[in-house]
Amino acid sequence: MTISPLARKQWHRFKSIKRGYYAALALAGLLVMSCAAEMLVNNRALIVSYQGKLYFPTYGAFLPGSTFGLGYDYETNYRELRSRFADSDDGWVLMPPVPYNAFENDLRELTYPPYPPSFATRHFLGTDTTGRDIVARLVYGFRIAIGFSLMLLLCNYLIGIAVGCAMGFWGGAFDLFFQRVIEVWSNVPFLYVIMIVASIMVPTFWTLTFVMVLFGWMSMTWYMRTSTYKEKTRDYVMAARALGASSTRIVARHILPNTVSVIVTFIPFSIASGITALTALDYLGFGLLPPTPSWGDLLSQGTDNLDSPWIVTSVVTAMIVILLMVTYIGEAIREAFDPKRFTFYE
Amino acid sequence: MSELLTGLSRALVLATLLVPGIAAALPDRLPDNLVWITNEEDPTYAAPEAKRGGTFRTSMQSFPLTLRRVGPDSNGGFAQYLRYNQMSLVEWHPNTRRPIPSLASHWAFDADGKTVYYRIDEDARWSDGVPVTAADFEFTREFMRSKFIVAPWYNDYYTTQVVDIRAYGDRIVGVEGAAPRPAEELMYEYSVGVVPKHFHRLTDNWVADYNWKIEPNTGPYQITDVRKGRYIELTRDPNWWANDRKYYQHRFNPDKIRIKVVRDLNVDFQHFIKGETDTFGLVIPQFWHDKAKGTVFDNGYVSRYWFYNDLPQPSSGMFLNEDDPILKDRNVRIALAYAMNFDKVIRTVLRNDYARMQTFNEGFGDYDNLAIHAREFDLAKARDYLEAAGWHDRGPDGILVKDGKRLSLRVTYGSPYSTDRLVVLREEAKKAGIELELALLDSASAFKQMQEKKHQIAWMTWASQGISPEYWQFFHSVNAHVPQTNNLMNHDDPVMDKLIDAYRASSAKSERVELAHRLEQMVFDSGAIISSFKVPYTREAAWNWVKLPAWLGTRTTDQLFDPLELSAGVYSAGGLFWIDVDEKRRIRAAMAAGEKFAPVLKKDETYRRRDLE
Repeated sequence: MTISPLARKQWHRFKSIKRGYYAALALAGLLVMSCAAEMLVNNRALIVSYQGKLYFPTYGAFLPGSTFGLGYDYETNYRELRSRFADSDDGWVLMPPVPYNAFENDLRELTYPPYPPSFATRHFLGTDTTGRDIVARLVYGFRIAIGFSLMLLLCNYLIGIAVGCAMGFWGGAFDLFFQRVIEVWSNVPFLYVIMIVASIMVPTFWTLTFVMVLFGWMSMTWYMRTSTYKEKTRDYVMAARALGASSTRIVARHILPNTVSVIVTFIPFSIASGITALTALDYLGFGLLPPTPSWGDLLSQGTDNLDSPWIVTSVVTAMIVILLMVTYIGEAIREAFDPKRFTFYE
Repeated sequence: MSELLTGLSRALVLATLLVPGIAAALPDRLPDNLVWITNEEDPTYAAPEAKRGGTFRTSMQSFPLTLRRVGPDSNGGFAQYLRYNQMSLVEWHPNTRRPIPSLASHWAFDADGKTVYYRIDEDARWSDGVPVTAADFEFTREFMRSKFIVAPWYNDYYTTQVVDIRAYGDRIVGVEGAAPRPAEELMYEYSVGVVPKHFHRLTDNWVADYNWKIEPNTGPYQITDVRKGRYIELTRDPNWWANDRKYYQHRFNPDKIRIKVVRDLNVDFQHFIKGETDTFGLVIPQFWHDKAKGTVFDNGYVSRYWFYNDLPQPSSGMFLNEDDPILKDRNVRIALAYAMNFDKVIRTVLRNDYARMQTFNEGFGDYDNLAIHAREFDLAKARDYLEAAGWHDRGPDGILVKDGKRLSLRVTYGSPYSTDRLVVLREEAKKAGIELELALLDSASAFKQMQEKKHQIAWMTWASQGISPEYWQFFHSVNAHVPQTNNLMNHDDPVMDKLIDAYRASSAKSERVELAHRLEQMVFDSGAIISSFKVPYTREAAWNWVKLPAWLGTRTTDQLFDPLELSAGVYSAGGLFWIDVDEKRRIRAAMAAGEKFAPVLKKDETYRRRDLE
């Protein structure tokens, strides 16, 4: 595959906008790290050495406590195992930096959660109201939110671009008909639909995505329709048609690549809105079911427990950082794809 | 929610008691062989040193939409003030749990087992001075059956449940129920309220005409000031007819009660701290532990009270659907009970504030089966029962697997506040190889799903009601395997059916108690219900000028600073406190001068049921 000189230029321009470039690198880094979150934030040990044998419990089936000579057949508590091994020579345990998963309740006698941040217990951002580690909830919540957001983006754009292109390309009655359909459809109050769905059935990742797509695909159609209209009348399209290219080929090979700047510019903002949408729904209690780790759930716990400020601070900071990064990237992309070369980014 | 549930379960009881073709059957003449009973020998429970006077200032969350007791919009929070300012025929002694005279001075049972005759107190007067007569009760029947009041529930109740009310002269009234019941239940069910005949004109416009009219009443206070949207003020009737009756002496002491609208609980608390209201409820752990601190508490201007009571507890817990392919195996149900670490939930997230509920029905006095203790978290026992049920192997995630199916169970619930508790149970249950999948729905949808028996495990609470445990609606097989009944477990046991029928038919208390014990044991043995928590106390704070008797409250006191009888159901436990106006002046002066007193925290465990813990 060859990279067109234009694309190369745009990439250089994007790279030259430092704020956006580094934000993109950081976000990409976070994405990769969240995919490997099990190695960084987990209650399962990375490596256990027991009686001369090495175990790698992170991925794969659970290891019952009896594997390591503990008297139970449920999942080994590796933190306990580590303190046990510290007193004996049976082996050693290497734990991830944050030795908790997003579900377990680390509860202690006579003190009540939420517990404040502590290096001694390795709750670096403290715990929530049921003693679950906030770092773990944030990291796994981020992974779900970003996954949700990307999934949503993919579906919305697939439908939006297809319908928008078709409207712009064919025009006429088809265009008119879909314009009205979209107008009517976008007036359905989306939040009520979500509320109704959430109250009559148990919302899952996929049902939520489905409902969000159902009401989210329209916005892209307008942009695609306009740019297709514009491109359709260009000479190169005429030329392609004169050469006998089919409609599919014209749209796919000629029009779409020339509208890509529109699509790319919107992507970061769609990702941000996907994350905020899920967070808002979770906050209101219409999102993913407990105990799924979620930023919205943390936010609602935080606002209910303002006297435990570490909850609300953690999640609000995390949100601000992610949304800022996305905004910087969006700005930089828009700038890079801007046809008006004479504007400068400062 | 609990009110909704009470309503629903009541409606259900009604529907099933409906026997077609019941005709009003009270005789024209009073039967000759009636034995008139009263109860003047039980001890009094109010403080003789109580002082009259002062204003009790409290709050409500919203302003009422009407001052009617029935009809549209009449079921708001303020309705309690209207309803409990009207006396019923008999009340229940809050310590001995026996009937005591109220509007009726005597009562008598008919031999048919479903009729009670009441003799109205000679002095009973409406607040406008008109005597209360048997004709008022006959009118009540017409009124409650009337289409004009737009109250279908009452229309139905006074047709199918209370089938007849009849006057015998001025003073005696007969109330007939639909089915024979034991004496104390008859008294509970058919101690009907009364509506002033001279006040109401039933017309098409009744609902609109009577929206803001102040109805004459038989209780101690009348509404004297209504500022719409702001407050309502009640004033004590100086000539209240029951003032010197044995069980009403020294009660309902403040001259006025002012109920202000405060829409938010936290704002309400701030009003209280500023001394704009006199008392505040602190049952919620957050308020008790975290918010009830600061100057007014530390300087001893405000006292805190923790009062254990002995009331029927709302039945809360996990209700397992026995029609479910996994849960139909009793061994799995028992194992599940052993895998639920309620103790840990209580010790941690609930701050040791709640207690474990031991049985399905609790707090009914003699009816309680003290031999039963809830199954405690025990992984070894859970494993044994699961082994017996054929769940041997754990899958890669540590959850048990049988024939390719995981031991994963869905918990349907409707209150977001329960999530904190359920997540701890869920993590602990994993140790036993059981996965709980939490399904939080909105409360109405959750209840609908349960009533349609589409749940696996229902996490809910039944509001307690009545004076003896109820089994038929929850356990009888006629209510199993059909939607819209309260037998959420689809419990279906012919032996139990027989006992339930006997329990319902029996009118001897000793026999009923014995049957209730056996039934409770069968419920426990079936493992269909895993009881969860109870809150066997009230916690409140009050400014020190609000005084209580030395004994603080009664066995069945649900709310210490209850100006009428807004709480505690049938028991007449309210109105024991008084406002000391001189003391109020002194405390105000001390506050201005910066004078301090010792902080007060009174914990009373007289009625704590340790045998149920």
